Amino acid sequence: MAAAGAAGASVMAHNGYAQEAVKLPVEPAGTVPNSAVIAEKFSGMQVHSERPLTASVPAESHHFSVTPNDRMFVRNNLLTPDIDASKHRLTVKGSVHKEVSFSVEELRKNFPVVRTQAMLECAGSGRSGFVPRPSGTPWSASGGMGCPVWNGVRLRDVLRAAGLQNNAAYVAGQGGDFGVIATAAPVIRSIPMDKAMEPHTMLVFGMNDGPLPKIHGAPLRLLTPGWAGSASTKWLHTLTVLDAPFKGTFMDSSYRIPRDAVKPGDRMPPDALVTEGWPVKSMITYPAPNAVFQVRRLVLIEGRAWVGEGAISRVQISLDEGVSWQNAQLNNAGDKFAWRTFSVELRPEKPGFVTVLARASDDRGNTQPIVSKWNPLGYFWNGVHRVGFSVEA
Amino acid sequence: MRLSVMALLFAASVASAQDAEPSRTLTPGKGAELATARCVICHDAQHITRTKLSRGEWEFNIKNMIERGAPIAPNEIAPILEYLSTYYNRDVAAPAPTAAATGGDPVANLLNANACTACHQVDKRVVGPSFKEVAAKYAGDNTAVGKLVTKIRQGGSGVWGASPMPPNAAVADADLQQLVGWILQQK
Ligand code: HEC
Ligand code: HEC
Repeated sequence: MAAAGAAGASVMAHNGYAQEAVKLPVEPAGTVPNSAVIAEKFSGMQVHSERPLTASVPAESHHFSVTPNDRMFVRNNLLTPDIDASKHRLTVKGSVHKEVSFSVEELRKNFPVVRTQAMLECAGSGRSGFVPRPSGTPWSASGGMGCPVWNGVRLRDVLRAAGLQNNAAYVAGQGGDFGVIATAAPVIRSIPMDKAMEPHTMLVFGMNDGPLPKIHGAPLRLLTPGWAGSASTKWLHTLTVLDAPFKGTFMDSSYRIPRDAVKPGDRMPPDALVTEGWPVKSMITYPAPNAVFQVRRLVLIEGRAWVGEGAISRVQISLDEGVSWQNAQLNNAGDKFAWRTFSVELRPEKPGFVTVLARASDDRGNTQPIVSKWNPLGYFWNGVHRVGFSVEA
Repeated sequence: MRLSVMALLFAASVASAQDAEPSRTLTPGKGAELATARCVICHDAQHITRTKLSRGEWEFNIKNMIERGAPIAPNEIAPILEYLSTYYNRDVAAPAPTAAATGGDPVANLLNANACTACHQVDKRVVGPSFKEVAAKYAGDNTAVGKLVTKIRQGGSGVWGASPMPPNAAVADADLQQLVGWILQQK
């Protein structure tokens, strides 16, 4: 088989005769190797692809109120750049009164430093729930998300420092990640001004009160909380204020979701919407699938529920595959874009196999469907999560 | 046997088990070399081998990849689309890769053509045992070839665990002999 493009070393583990990797072009200098990323991650993290690196932990490994760094999902479109923080600058340009530029240190000194716990979830998270399977990273039902604490400054404070012109309507972020060939299109995404000015939308330089790891965007990233992850540009170096949405392949041909259901196999309709806030969603984090419990012992079912915009109003569980539902206990709400913990106490009366389904509702009248509407790129899977466990005498 | 398959499927749906690892190379066939040269650059081949799409979706995908910077000349679009929608089509079963198409190793072709690779790898346990484990188990057993040929043809479970191997009745005897001979050499 022909080697691709330039001759290069195989970057993937050689794990067998029929599985010998096609030789990929060598990664250029200035990138963080996958092995260095994986070394900092939880051992149970599942790698979904090696170039670019994508990885996540299953739902039962998310049984934390705040996602630790080592459980946060990994998703790049291009390579992982290794950026010197001391030389890095953020430039704000476009429809502003004056173009400004800051080092991370200057951002920290010039603007109020804030912290918030907030959801970040890849638009394709849960994609493997769709039947038939659309193309793209096959995240499991709970894959591709996390809810850590973010440290940084408010985007709106920095935009105000530059001064918005009257036509300022969108902000596009561009990061320092690059592809293995020079023609690779940069990943540029824009967000509307009301989201940019929302006080939880941040320029982030810290994670869980420590430094921001390189794989999560160091030295600086955008955080557009609750929205499809691609709107939270990592390795951010330029913000361009625009009078209209940015035009580019990552705005116009990907991260789009049809307004209505699409027949599986059909192409993306031309009037599909840009993915923005995640629809209401939940997962069961305890017990793990196929756990075993003693009959008549207390089992505390627990999980997390979240929605991109708005608030969780209710979580219900079903023990009969969705025929009947009972309310779960919702713990107090924390930060605006953080997930909420829910729990239900169960005391199984007889031995057997029990399945638990969880579904959340939001304050705007939306409830999770059993199965999400099929769409060509497999975004926004929010079908109910289901876990089964055994009860023994 | 039927029961254990069902139990397996049910457990999988509840546990959302990982899929078997997709192939790291494109299926050999007309257009495979061009598709590899143009598509396995920015990302691994598994982006494609884990995917089955309709022809229309592949067409949209190639347009997307060109927008993302894939170095594909206009006259290369049709053969790549033809290749992808022949071998990775959700609606139409893929033809078996032929030895002529690969010009490559006959054992690799047999393993791929009979989907052994869906469940077996050389040195990693997937659904079934790795071929190295099999070779180690039967080292020095001079009845192994006959036993294993029959076992693969008829399928069965219990030697390596509860998961069954389905029957492979359509594989020619000579091919099975060749496969088993090769498997037993894996060290
Ligand atoms: C210039 C770089 C580049 C080349 C060359 C390229 N791709 Fe991609 N491809 C991408 C990027 C970037 C993504 C999105 C990130 C990801 O999924 O890893 C992607 C994603 C994909 C996906 C996942 C689904 C999706 O739409 O995101 C498939 C399938 C795919 N590519 C197929 C192909 C095929 C087929 C070819 C050859 C015709 C090809 N790629 C060539 C850059 C490229
Ligand atoms: C659907 C999955 C599946 C497929 C396809 C499959 N196998 Fe297996 N294979 C298994 C399982 C599971 C076992 C273990 C069975 C057992 O414990 O007896 C196994 C066992 C084996 C063994 C060891 C048998 C023993 O008794 O020790 C060999 C050799 C083998 N397979 C070869 C093949 C070959 C060659 C093919 C393709 C023609 C193939 N398998 C296709 C699942 C599969």
